[in-house]
Amino acid sequence: MRLFVKYNLVNVATTVIVLLLSGVVYYFFIEHALIHQLDKSLVVEEKEISDYVNENNILPEASFTKDEQEFYSSINNDEKVTRNFSSVNVRKENKQGQKLYRQLEFPVTVKGKIYHAYVRKSQEETEDIVQLILKITLAIVLLLLIILLIINRFMLNKLWRPFNSTLNQMKRFNVSGSNDVYLQLTNIDEFKELNSAVYAMTEKASRDYNEIKSFTENASHEIQTPLAIIASKVELLSQSETLKEAEMNAIQSISETTNRLSKLNQSLLLLAKIDNKQFNKAEEISISALLIQHVNNYEELFHAKEINITKNIAGEVLVIMNETLAETLIINLLTNAIKHNTVKGFINIELAEKYLLISNSGKVLNVNPVVYFERFKKESTAQDSMGLGLSIVKRICETYGFEVDYNYSDGVHSVGINF
Amino acid sequence: MKILIVEDEKELSDGIATYLKSEDYVCETASDFNKALAKIDVFDYDCILLDITIPGGSGLDLLKELKANNKMDGVLIISARNSLDDKITGLTLGADDYLSKPFHLSELSARVAAIIRRKNFDGNNFLKFENITIDTVARSASVKNRVLELTKKEYELLLYFVSNKNRVISKDAIAEHLWGDDMQGSNDFIYTHIKNLRRKLVEAAKADYIKSVYGMGYKFSAQ
Repeated sequence: MRLFVKYNLVNVATTVIVLLLSGVVYYFFIEHALIHQLDKSLVVEEKEISDYVNENNILPEASFTKDEQEFYSSINNDEKVTRNFSSVNVRKENKQGQKLYRQLEFPVTVKGKIYHAYVRKSQEETEDIVQLILKITLAIVLLLLIILLIINRFMLNKLWRPFNSTLNQMKRFNVSGSNDVYLQLTNIDEFKELNSAVYAMTEKASRDYNEIKSFTENASHEIQTPLAIIASKVELLSQSETLKEAEMNAIQSISETTNRLSKLNQSLLLLAKIDNKQFNKAEEISISALLIQHVNNYEELFHAKEINITKNIAGEVLVIMNETLAETLIINLLTNAIKHNTVKGFINIELAEKYLLISNSGKVLNVNPVVYFERFKKESTAQDSMGLGLSIVKRICETYGFEVDYNYSDGVHSVGINF
Repeated sequence: MKILIVEDEKELSDGIATYLKSEDYVCETASDFNKALAKIDVFDYDCILLDITIPGGSGLDLLKELKANNKMDGVLIISARNSLDDKITGLTLGADDYLSKPFHLSELSARVAAIIRRKNFDGNNFLKFENITIDTVARSASVKNRVLELTKKEYELLLYFVSNKNRVISKDAIAEHLWGDDMQGSNDFIYTHIKNLRRKLVEAAKADYIKSVYGMGYKFSAQ
């Protein structure tokens, strides 16, 4: 729910409730005040009648006008008449409908005889006024609602503009890119605070990112150079003509291990770089061409292992991605299929529109194939597997939102990628 | 042939120098920016091995200096940074090749030889070993004017051997040279290639130059 919808709901609901309540209260107060006014004028009539009786010693004539009625009824002396105000409905003269009157009844004594006097005044005008007030109140409620909605719609949109602009800038912010955030100036304190927080945060993120980036590079530099020294010394040592068999074995072992270590370091560095999104530059890559090129490069390897290769590569499968990553992806998939293959095995490469499936024969699998995507998981302890190849594949796919899955059944391993 | 090694790690530059000297190269070393600058100002080298991160400045600046002075020295960047940006920048600035640390000395030696061959203006693109002649432009090899039927990889393997003659080359180095970093560990694959190349050479040249060195790799030599 949008903030302004929620705000509107609360705002409108409160306004309506308060206005309706005040309308009801208003209604009762006004009615009470008007009736009080009527009662006062009834008392004046009562006084006039009393004065008339005192002066003339007879009752005034009864009168029935539209707005006012006066009449008397004689009663037995043992009956008691109490002075009382009340609202009564009186049948109209033409017998159609009723009319509301305010009535005062009181006893009048003329020549020792007690009469029951009634004075009535029409209450209809009062009702009309009250109804008018109610209508006006409702009209105000309606008008206020409309005005509130209009104000909210235009005013709030305008008020939130700096916020929306900041939000857009933050969405566009890329820690590895060079695009700084430029936030709209605003005189609203909350937004000023938000903007300064965003500035501080993005600056810190960029700084930290650059630190990590240079740390990764520096760490790699620090490790690669000693490795290079070891590798060069071992290679020089292996040139010696006087080596004994045991020394040769030791040298070979050091050489291979150094090689493994340096490849491991490079793979970790590559993963770190992908994680840090340092391969931002993307272009249209022909997966078909890339596949064919690398399959050709490895052709002799297939022969050497007597691997039967079948390919079904669709013409121009184009994917927007980084060139280095695309190449790394294809190379990792192919080398994985070659390295973990069996002698006289097969590799089947299928590339259709947006879908690549590479399946190969291989050793029987004892673990869930999904673990292959995790770093350093491998089935064999053979030194030729670094356990990082498929996690690199996975990270590259994640970077571009490609779906990747690993399947195994009956000695056939297959990796599928949905571009 | 004169080579300048610009590298601050003395152990590494010594190792490189020792390996290259036995290829009859004259090697000099410079351990920082200023020493290197002083040398390239005065002397001409056939090839300069350039580390990017050196004390006192950047190897890339040295490269700019070279190109600004129209020096024709070949340049091979050797960097531990293995960063694509550096590689692209280096090659755009006019470096001839890029090799990331750590590397095999045999690979380095082959790359240096290739740069020097390309830089030579006397049009000598023939490499000779005993009775084998390699034409690096046509990318073919022949024995006594009879062209050998070699696959692409066998040709590369032969060139690599000749560039590192009389040296023990590890299987890792050969595998990486032929298929790139990612085929490392696939040493068993190279056996077939070696076998085929050896058979073809023996047939044509009547001599077996490829020697297996127990446990370590192969050596290409006439003895």
